[in-house]
Amino acid sequence: MLQIENTLFTIVMLLYFAAMLLYFAFIAVKKDGVAKVAIGLQAAGLALHTAALICRGIGAGRLPLTNQYEFATSFAWGLCLVSLIFVLRFKFPVLGAFASPVTFLIIGYAAMQSKEVRSLMPALRSNWLGFHVSTAIIAYGAFGVSFVLGVIFLLRDRMRNSGFLDQHIPNREKLDVIAYRSVSLGLLFLTFTIVTGAIWAERAWGSYWSWDPKETWSLVTWIIYAAYLHLRLRRGWQGRAAAIFAVVGFACVIFTYIGVNTFLPGVHSYA
Amino acid sequence: MSVFKRIYKFIASMRFAIALLVVLAVACSVGSLVTQGQSYDWYAQRYSERTAALILALGLDDAFHSAWFIAITGFLCLNLTLCNLTRLPRLIRLAKAEGRPEGALKDPGDVSAANIADPRAVFARLRMPAPIACQTEDGREALFASKHRAGLWGAWVCHLGILLLILGFGLGQMTQEQYAVYGVPGDVKPIGDTGRMLQIDDFTVGLRDDDTVEQYTAKITVYDMNADGAPSQSAEIRVNQPATLFGMKFYQNSTGWAGKVNIAKDGEPLQEAVICAGEYLPVADKPELVVVLNAFYPDYRFVPGEGPSTASGQLNHPAWLYSVYYQGQVLGMNALMADEELTIDEYTVTFTDPQSYTLISVKRDRFTPLALVGGLVTMLGLLLAFYVQPARAWAIRQDDGGWTVHGRCRKGGAIWREDFERAAGTASNEE
Ligand code: HEM
Repeated sequence: MLQIENTLFTIVMLLYFAAMLLYFAFIAVKKDGVAKVAIGLQAAGLALHTAALICRGIGAGRLPLTNQYEFATSFAWGLCLVSLIFVLRFKFPVLGAFASPVTFLIIGYAAMQSKEVRSLMPALRSNWLGFHVSTAIIAYGAFGVSFVLGVIFLLRDRMRNSGFLDQHIPNREKLDVIAYRSVSLGLLFLTFTIVTGAIWAERAWGSYWSWDPKETWSLVTWIIYAAYLHLRLRRGWQGRAAAIFAVVGFACVIFTYIGVNTFLPGVHSYA
Repeated sequence: MSVFKRIYKFIASMRFAIALLVVLAVACSVGSLVTQGQSYDWYAQRYSERTAALILALGLDDAFHSAWFIAITGFLCLNLTLCNLTRLPRLIRLAKAEGRPEGALKDPGDVSAANIADPRAVFARLRMPAPIACQTEDGREALFASKHRAGLWGAWVCHLGILLLILGFGLGQMTQEQYAVYGVPGDVKPIGDTGRMLQIDDFTVGLRDDDTVEQYTAKITVYDMNADGAPSQSAEIRVNQPATLFGMKFYQNSTGWAGKVNIAKDGEPLQEAVICAGEYLPVADKPELVVVLNAFYPDYRFVPGEGPSTASGQLNHPAWLYSVYYQGQVLGMNALMADEELTIDEYTVTFTDPQSYTLISVKRDRFTPLALVGGLVTMLGLLLAFYVQPARAWAIRQDDGGWTVHGRCRKGGAIWREDFERAAGTASNEE
């Protein structure tokens, strides 16, 4: 099973890479047909990625969500899934073009991690772990999409107007609403993540909140996005300022994910 | 406006809320970047003496319990409470009005479409419930439908949830009782000053084939010495499976090594006791002489430059790291192999029977359920706010027999307008 997973993982990386190149080509040659193929490749990559995760789950005899490699590959999966949904729902292939390099970077990060299957320490043997991490994947994926939307928003202001852009990038107002949708999806799932994590911590360590750095940073992330939502409700703050918040919020997500493990030790340092 | 009222308005305002949220985010990140709970010397060595003094003066060494952190949280609660209270009457009025056609029919809506022959079909495509028939003030025939009014309550419910959560957490922090009891099977120890005794009946460390730990399992019995006849309750606890006995929750927290210490004097047995790593044992007839068990290594190895460690979890090459104190001064410290003995004047000390001890944490926090309810209410509020979007649509018959259809969705923005135009068949990019 783990052999199959390994092979699938390599194919998935190639597919994501190919999808990214095609998305770029779509922007370069401005042909809708190219975007369709890119979306098709992304969907195929996602399907095989799902299969790879299932194989790893079967091979390891547990949910594949417990170490840095497993979380990184799942994070890439979540971002790919959410971005694909947004691309299709809002007929927005340019979003795919901006999201695909981020997905590729994250799966590349996964490829650099140790793929060894280690046995779980007792604290990690809990059903809550499954809920905790799988909701985190969706949340991170959604925040990844809002980051990409924020970047598109900020770049849009700098780009020369052209028929292609007007046709393929929604106007400011619509971009803002789409970004709002992705932030709200992310915040809802981040709330699930924090609550299920707290329930699990209570059972495993006897304390549902202990200001462990990872907990604290997920709270910081949560607060940043809550502030984003309120800013949006204020006249004049929609758009640019909100887009900057979406970018900063994702920087917090990445810090929570990678930075905390590297710089701030705590009970979460294994994942 | 009086000064008082202006202050009140500010404290209840969303501007203040945003400022507080940003300040709170900064406060939390500072609290996580500065290592918590260290001494002045530690900070002075890590940073500089001036920084260390600043850290202690600002309470950054215990940021999450500092006065300023509690003050920020307190203001946030005040702000949320006032905001929710002020908005409640308006929200009730709005929720009522949202379901009635009167206000809508006078309104142009966010978006509208003229010359519609079959407005009911537009309503259906918008997935609105069946419209009710009504009349405008000037007597025109009209249709009206509204849905998802519960969504109006989303933010309010979310704010309520956050308040309950903070309240539950805060009260828990102030009133919780927490104890730790450790020992080996057979030990009976008091649980703090609760008048309860904890007996460790059994403790096993389940290993997998590859030597890694699968599970720690402790069997415990708790006696309530306060009650007549000292009634008892028993349970088996594991990591991730705590148990509640006499209203207190027991967690299998961690483990370590313990061993039996035998002390003989002039060859005659003097005393015998089981002590855990980190514990000390005063010699029975000479209490100023103390033996400390620092650590136990089941498979001892010594790597120069790294110090002692264990090569595996198996009892292949057991070694006891001990130290001896006399009148508070260290006499010596060394590692003792399984078959060796330590001689101090007329005393000989041996360590035998290595076994695992268990550390059990005991906790009582009556407000955990409140915090949990707060968390669940917050999630419910977010679901309502984001995924139950209140929308209204209404149609008014025109003189020529056609209808004008209008729609409004508070949070739908451009996307709702597109959906509406598609439903009404007036979308500009209709293919
Ligand atoms: C951690 C703190 C907070 C969180 C997580 C939070 C969450 C939310 C959410 C999810 C919404 C709905 C936004 C939307 O639908 O786009 C909202 C709206 C709102 N919040 Fe908060 N909030 C917080 C603190 C506050 C505070 C302290 C105030 C005090 C003034 C406040 C005032 C408002 C107002 C006025 C709205 C608009 C309500 C509406 O559109 O119906 N929020 N909040």
